[in-house]
Amino acid sequence: MVLRIAHVDDDSDIRESVQLILKKDGYEVDSYLTMQDFLDSLKNNTIRPNLAILDVMVESMDSGLTTFANLHKNYPEMQAIFLTSLGDMIRPYFENQSHEWVCIMEKPVEPISLLATINARLKNKDGQIA
Amino acid sequence: MTSTEFSWDKSANNRAASHLEAQARVKLSDDVLISNIRWFIAFRWVLIGALIVFEILVLLSSSDTFVKLGVSDQHNWPVVVIGILIFANILYIIALDYLPPSRYNSPTINLWAQIIVDLVCLSVVVHYIGSTSTPVSFFYVLHIALACIFFSARESFYVTVLVCIMDTVVILIDNFLFAQAPLSTLINKHFSIESSPQDNALLWMIFLDVLFLVVWYVVSRLSLIVRTHEHHLADAYKQIKRAQVEKDQYALLITHQLKSPLDAIRSKINLIREGYLGETSSEVTHALEQMDIRAKNMSGLILDLLRLERLKTSCHDTAQFQSTNIYTILKKCIDKLGPVINSKEMKLNVSVNDFYYQCIPEQLEILFENIISNSITYSHHGTSIEIASHQIGTDQATVTVTDHGIGIESKDLPNIFNEYFYSPRAAMHNKSTSGIGLSIVKIAAENNKLKINVDSEPGVGTTFTIIFNNVTSNAA
Repeated sequence: MVLRIAHVDDDSDIRESVQLILKKDGYEVDSYLTMQDFLDSLKNNTIRPNLAILDVMVESMDSGLTTFANLHKNYPEMQAIFLTSLGDMIRPYFENQSHEWVCIMEKPVEPISLLATINARLKNKDGQIA
Repeated sequence: MTSTEFSWDKSANNRAASHLEAQARVKLSDDVLISNIRWFIAFRWVLIGALIVFEILVLLSSSDTFVKLGVSDQHNWPVVVIGILIFANILYIIALDYLPPSRYNSPTINLWAQIIVDLVCLSVVVHYIGSTSTPVSFFYVLHIALACIFFSARESFYVTVLVCIMDTVVILIDNFLFAQAPLSTLINKHFSIESSPQDNALLWMIFLDVLFLVVWYVVSRLSLIVRTHEHHLADAYKQIKRAQVEKDQYALLITHQLKSPLDAIRSKINLIREGYLGETSSEVTHALEQMDIRAKNMSGLILDLLRLERLKTSCHDTAQFQSTNIYTILKKCIDKLGPVINSKEMKLNVSVNDFYYQCIPEQLEILFENIISNSITYSHHGTSIEIASHQIGTDQATVTVTDHGIGIESKDLPNIFNEYFYSPRAAMHNKSTSGIGLSIVKIAAENNKLKINVDSEPGVGTTFTIIFNNVTSNAA
């Protein structure tokens, strides 16, 4: 089964780069311009992704964070990572204990580390299911 | 067609604020009342102790001495008053700590109960010690002053009226119903000998009642002023807090807007370098690497500016302080800097013991990361860096970071922690310096009450010594 990844970013250059890297590695990639578009897409079960890559500042300062909270609550089986220009600077917005499980990658997109992180996350998830 | 009305009128907010202010003026918050109730209870235990001592003195000495002093004949009243006060004090504690708060068990009701019981007891004491023969009636003033501080002006006025009534009743009972009190010399000194004891008592009563009302007026006015100022202060503090949050958001937004284009450029550079867009010549790859380095340095500078801004605003937030294992923090930094150390083929010798320090962990991480990466930057290829901890006495410890790099000239040494200090010698060694790494260290050290000592010799190396006071061997 082809694993599906959703990527939300308002920067078309970043969307293109991520799409190119992940498609070449065999993933199905859906890119969204806004968090709302992405959340709307989740109503359709057939294209529900295995993993979501979220930017933080999209429609608003914290749309990425609220979407992350939404996913965590409504789609707990879905993996999510942040890909943001601000990197670790968004850490203060998380609770103390979430350091271990919140994954934050700093832009720019680096093919090797992006693929390594995504593969590790999805393998983890498969391991849990098995 | 969509239509939206925009309004930037701030007066609506101000109106809401002044309404709140009017409410806050009336009373103190429950938290303040509760802490003061505890203080009253403690104070009452002291008073009970004093009464017990008084009773013992009475028992030991002949009662004649007290009669001579103007104190009327002793009965069993001190024992009864002590008993009532002990019983009531225990009840206040139970109501405050063990019963759930309700409409009938609020801090205000607790305080009212305390004042009424205290006034009744004080009236008994005044009656037996001598309402007009001794100055014991002045103790009523204490209750009026406290009521003015903790209650609204109206409620404290009720307390004052209550005090006036009780004092009047006690004086009337003493002088007109039983006429038993031996009026002391105290009155006679001030009033003519010819006037009858009843007249004196009447004068004394009017004098006290007027005094009580004057005290109420003065103290309640003062406490109103203090309360208004206190509220203004709290309001200003809230506004500062809000402004800080807005400032942080603004800094975050600017950082994002400045860094995003660089990230997009670098993402594309990475795609080319990794071969996603086809083969490129080695010259192109080299040029791309150079472009990437410049863009990376600029990104680093932008994030450093945000870090500096955040450190500056977070300095007085004591809530973030926690007992932190310094070794764990160092380990985290070393792991993070591992790739840079490997790329320069350097060796890191670490001998750090576990010890705990009260600090903001994130800031300490930033501090060590900057000091260690500074040492790496100004070290020569293939050299080593030593990180060691030393315990000095029982509660002081140091962490030293020693490199064998270019060192700092003595004329530059006093300036290294200044914002944007530029040393041509350092810049020659490291073209990508943002110049604010050590100013970040300075602010993090300031915020976390750390001292830093720097020893350096040009061409030999530099040692940064971070001095920790009040360390513990276990998490506090």
